[in-house]
Amino acid sequence: MIVVKPKLFEEIRSMLQGHERILIVGCDGCAGIYETGGLRQAEILKQRLELAQEIKGDRKISVRALTVLRQCDDDVVANSLREAVGEADAILSLGCGVGVQTIADAFEDKPVFPGNNTEFVGMMDRSQEKLFERCHACGDCILDQFGGICPITRCAKGLLNGPCGGQVKGKCEVGRYTNDCAWVLIWKRLKQRGKLDQFTKFRPFRTRQHSPKELKLAITVSKG
Amino acid sequence: MEDTRIGVFVCRCGTNIGGFLDVPALVEYAKGLPNVVFSQESLYTCSEAGLTGIKKAIAEQRLNRVIVASCTPRTHEPLFRSTCKEAGLNPYLFEFVNIRDQCSWVHMRETEKATEKAKDLIRMGVARARLLEPQAEIQGEVVPSALVIGGGIAGMTCALSIADRGFEVTLVERETGLGGLLRNLYKLYPTQEDASELIEAKIHEVKKNRNIEVLTSATVTEVKGFFGNYDVTIKQEGKNIPLRAGVIVVATGAEEFKPIGMYGYDGINVVTQLELDKMLKEGKFDAKNVVMIQCVGARDEKRNYCSRVCCMSALNNAITISERSPEAKTFILYRDMQTYGTSYEDLYRKAREKGIVFVKYSPQKPPVVNEGVVDVLDEFLGEELHLPCDLVVLSTPMIAHPDSVELAKILKIPVDEYGFFLEAHVKLRPLDFATDGVYLCGSAHWPSTVSESIAQAYGAASRASIPMSKRRVTAEPIISAVDQEKCIGCGVCEMVCPYSAIKLTKSTEGRWISQTNEVMCKGCGTCAVSCPATAIRMRHFQNEQVLAQVRVAFLTPAKEFEPRILAFTCNWCSYAGADLAGVSRIQYPPNVRIIRLMCSGRVDPIFVFEAFRSGADGVLISGCHPGDCHYVLGNRWSEARYKVIRSWLNEAGLEPERLRLAWISASEGGKFATVVTEMVAELRKMGPSPLRRLGS
Repeated sequence: MIVVKPKLFEEIRSMLQGHERILIVGCDGCAGIYETGGLRQAEILKQRLELAQEIKGDRKISVRALTVLRQCDDDVVANSLREAVGEADAILSLGCGVGVQTIADAFEDKPVFPGNNTEFVGMMDRSQEKLFERCHACGDCILDQFGGICPITRCAKGLLNGPCGGQVKGKCEVGRYTNDCAWVLIWKRLKQRGKLDQFTKFRPFRTRQHSPKELKLAITVSKG
Repeated sequence: MEDTRIGVFVCRCGTNIGGFLDVPALVEYAKGLPNVVFSQESLYTCSEAGLTGIKKAIAEQRLNRVIVASCTPRTHEPLFRSTCKEAGLNPYLFEFVNIRDQCSWVHMRETEKATEKAKDLIRMGVARARLLEPQAEIQGEVVPSALVIGGGIAGMTCALSIADRGFEVTLVERETGLGGLLRNLYKLYPTQEDASELIEAKIHEVKKNRNIEVLTSATVTEVKGFFGNYDVTIKQEGKNIPLRAGVIVVATGAEEFKPIGMYGYDGINVVTQLELDKMLKEGKFDAKNVVMIQCVGARDEKRNYCSRVCCMSALNNAITISERSPEAKTFILYRDMQTYGTSYEDLYRKAREKGIVFVKYSPQKPPVVNEGVVDVLDEFLGEELHLPCDLVVLSTPMIAHPDSVELAKILKIPVDEYGFFLEAHVKLRPLDFATDGVYLCGSAHWPSTVSESIAQAYGAASRASIPMSKRRVTAEPIISAVDQEKCIGCGVCEMVCPYSAIKLTKSTEGRWISQTNEVMCKGCGTCAVSCPATAIRMRHFQNEQVLAQVRVAFLTPAKEFEPRILAFTCNWCSYAGADLAGVSRIQYPPNVRIIRLMCSGRVDPIFVFEAFRSGADGVLISGCHPGDCHYVLGNRWSEARYKVIRSWLNEAGLEPERLRLAWISASEGGKFATVVTEMVAELRKMGPSPLRRLGS
């Protein structure tokens, strides 16, 4: 799922400077599930903003918190927010970057601000209570060749033929040896499956798109 | 919808409340609160007359909410709930307001302020009562087997009594053999029965009883599960033995205080009463002049209590000595002889007749033991006596076994400041713990004679057998409930639940949603505070019910600044600790209003924000000590949340020190008072909260 991280409170406050009727919109999708942008977080942020305004502010503000099923759906956003947006002079999204844009498109006349930074496509590790980056959304999935471990995302250098000399005891030099070397993981996994031949296979350089980068074409939603 | 009609009953509790609060003013005040249609005072609301009054008012005034403002819910809530039930009102439409343990008893010198506080507390109770909802009780099964911890006279008697009712009993003893303290005693008063005969007969009876399994050299190391269905781990010779038990009886006894460094105690010429017993039993006694000193290490600053049994032990041993060697002379140096009741007073009379000499000494001028002579100032004669002696016997108190603190942690039950186990209520439930399904008897409770231990053991056996006979227990419906419409299926609740009582399950529509297992849920509320979708509601402790209390806590306008503190305490440790401060009459400033939650893990950040926005200058979150949580890990979550909330307050411009977290156990009444006193002083220095409109 999309992993978001709350922006600093002061940043949010300065974005909202001058606005008096603020609507905080949570998202019951990724942000809600990962406890960063659900209704609870929206309600708590409402309390924090009101509290700060009461103490520091000169004008009173009114903040309303609600949530939508998912912010990455224009119909859902438009239908569930129409009434509440009417009363607001600013919207703060607790969804991902997609959510902010969906709301901004649906309500063109209202300023929409991001309450979160969108970090990555990730996985929840429940035992460690941590979220890990797992996918770059590259559009050309090659996970079948690497035992289900993505070298594009999880190798700091995106190498297709690893590991490099920067791994020590299975840890990667990038990030001061805190992250696992993806290529060591791939080797272990392939060995376990008896597929080390895949490991030794040479893979030619893969052209990666750099800027300017063409936006991928819209994918037609399948109705079947 | 039916109108909300609230009745408020203010208890005088004799002079306990009536002597310190203006009760008529409270009754009048209650009458003016929203939805209150009836209010009256009574001398003792828990008396038959008081209870009849409640029932009558429910019928005549068509009350659908009842509030009693009196002692503490920890002892009397069940009684008033069942009174409501008898009158046809759902027991969960009853609300308790604690104006004794947490008000009149702790502000005894401040009638006016204490009365104002009581008004606030009643107002908070009314605000909450308006939002209460009826709840249906939850039934659970009881495993028909008991665990009795401790194989002394109390434990064995209790085990036999339970086994005779046809239930299986596991009797766990930490020593290598059964018998406990009695193994060292000689003749038992008042009957002069041989202690070893009594104990041997009991041991024999226990061993041949097919319903009793005895585990010696064994200790209880872990207790999981709940009332009716405990999962116990017993460690015996390095092996872990699992056991399932419906009920648990604590009969771990006490031990004799060894007066090391006092009165020349050496265990040879200066011995304890128990050591004298042993000498008499083994025929090693041959002294001609005996001096016994009472209250050695008892009724002093460190051990403020009377051990109750030592006076009788001294008399009994003195009589035995005089009968065995009539030429021997015994002096008993005492502070007060305590030989109560009929048969024990006889013992004292008999000792007098036998020519035993009693000398009263004062603790300010205690006897001095020298080689072959004891010097003592006789309070009545006013003269120093020099008593020749070849044996000095020190009557020392019984003290709690050092293991009791560890066991208390495992069973999540309280001990008092001396380490003795603390019953649920000294009069109403003297053999029960506040934790359902756990009972106690014998000297683990307080120093008891053999006959008292036996009587308590029969009592505890009866108490423990009730749920096993019924086969079913009624659990409190204070549990979580998931709003399926709001649930987003994230599974956070499943992650935080210490009991695996809430789980993602596939709904009939094929959607993954959370569901509560009603029997397994213990109602801590940690899940409700974690739920990102706010889809979990805690029955009887809903957010709106708590917030209603918070919002009206500080409505009374104040002329000048006086710090106002709102405290959220867990039911098991800190609320009980606050009650203990009351029971011990420890005085603290009347600036705090307490809101009882089941667990400190239930404290929602929203409650804290609302408290400050409602005019609190400080907020206290208080729960069990780490590792001691009634709900295993609830306080771990509250601690994590506390840190986050403090940083949020700081960002918003409020001094984070205004929010305080304190671990206060059920036995730390003094600590509760200290924390509140400190907080008041700190807040006084900080001044009013910037959110408080001055002059309000």
